Amino acid sequence: MSLAVEALGEAALRLELPPCLEPRAVLERLRSLAGVRDVVVAERHAAVTFDPLGPLPKLEGIFDGQWAVGTERAARLHTVSVRYDGPDLERVAAFAKATVEEVVRLHEERVYTVRVVGFLPGFAYLGEVDPRIAAPRLETPRVRVPAGAVGIAGSRTGIYPFVSPGGWNLIGTAIDFAPFDAESGAVFRLGDQVRFVRG
Amino acid sequence: MADRALQIMQAVGPAWIQDGGREGLLHQGIPPGGALVPELLAQANRAIGNRWDAPAIELYGSLDVMASGGAVRLSVGGEVHFLRAGERLQIPASGTERVRYLAAGGGFDVPIRLGARGTLPVASLGGYEGRALGGGDRLALAEDEDGPDERLPSLETGSRLRFVPGPDSARFDPLARERLSSEPFRIDLSSNRVGTRLEGPPLPRLDSDAGISMPMVRGAIQVPAAGLPIVLGPDHPTTGGYPLIGVVIRADQGLLASLQPGTTVRFAPVEAEDARSIWREHAARWGLVPALR
Repeated sequence: MSLAVEALGEAALRLELPPCLEPRAVLERLRSLAGVRDVVVAERHAAVTFDPLGPLPKLEGIFDGQWAVGTERAARLHTVSVRYDGPDLERVAAFAKATVEEVVRLHEERVYTVRVVGFLPGFAYLGEVDPRIAAPRLETPRVRVPAGAVGIAGSRTGIYPFVSPGGWNLIGTAIDFAPFDAESGAVFRLGDQVRFVRG
Repeated sequence: MADRALQIMQAVGPAWIQDGGREGLLHQGIPPGGALVPELLAQANRAIGNRWDAPAIELYGSLDVMASGGAVRLSVGGEVHFLRAGERLQIPASGTERVRYLAAGGGFDVPIRLGARGTLPVASLGGYEGRALGGGDRLALAEDEDGPDERLPSLETGSRLRFVPGPDSARFDPLARERLSSEPFRIDLSSNRVGTRLEGPPLPRLDSDAGISMPMVRGAIQVPAAGLPIVLGPDHPTTGGYPLIGVVIRADQGLLASLQPGTTVRFAPVEAEDARSIWREHAARWGLVPALR
């Protein structure tokens, strides 16, 4: 399998991920390579960073054959209580041609997988959202989304860890939950699973 | 020497603790952070014998400080001051520099958060209580190791900012790549630690959608649909949907960030391999060796 690898500046390489690879396995595989300092796994690409004064990581054939790696941390299942009181519930209901109650039910009945960790510290893109409620992001993002806001943008749902600008449809507020911790970092990691429960 | 501290009497404009940054956490959505202009951090620190990346105050405006609990050696940029306990130093706003660093002998003793002591404002993480400094704040100082002082060179302005082209070059009209390498751009007022916005001729793209999230790094030149580029800074989002026409080389990232809004800049493409050689020389000249962790 020949990988498309390109320079991302002089201290990083970006590669296109072959389809159907499990993101957590990709992260661990890339982190295990000699010379790799850090890794970002996004929807269809990953990047590895390295010391520009050191050897370049070798990426040829890394996803060929048997390459399962041990993982540092077992995948976790998180349950987050949500108060479904977001300002965009009606908007998502209109998109779904359904009631707000049905939107809530469709959001909370799935178990989501962490697909990408990025954008903000601890921000996890969770998938897959039920297509009926997969409303596209707002045309004009809000200047200020409160910390703990639960949102939907297309097939992804997630929790804003801090006050920030944001374009997702806000459907609720996470209760007693912070996606980012100053001591241990991001709470949701690639491959973890998340359920929402109305609280 | 117990209890030496620097008391903040007043801060006008942002001022926060920054150090060399926290590399290696992109996979948790945490950007590398660190000083907006590492070379100037090094200059301030080395002038009083600190490690180049000791925690210092990244200062955008004016600051009024007082030494407390003992004598304190300070450097503002390369300019050294000696304050006896109770003595004050008033640093007026600079008319010419976008940012300056105030270093104290020993460095500021703030808690380590996720491997480093700098401030990540969006997460209210690190530095002094995760926030900008204000009157009444008392910054403890670490032991002054009294290392040899070193005068570092000034940043050389006026030369082109170099970038490694790609990785999304194919998503741009060839005119875009020509423009980036030949036209002048102006630094926009809205620039900050997240990114430097540029005004100038738009860089036309071949598609207009925001697209899927892709990995991002400091220096990445992202181009939204309207065509005005943004160069990502130390507190950049670790993923983003805008295509990248290039990545500013490390040796020029601090230089770009040091320029005041309104300054005109020009860019020039270089190969990644050449950028690595440039960095080798630049890092040696400035002593920007990564701290052993």
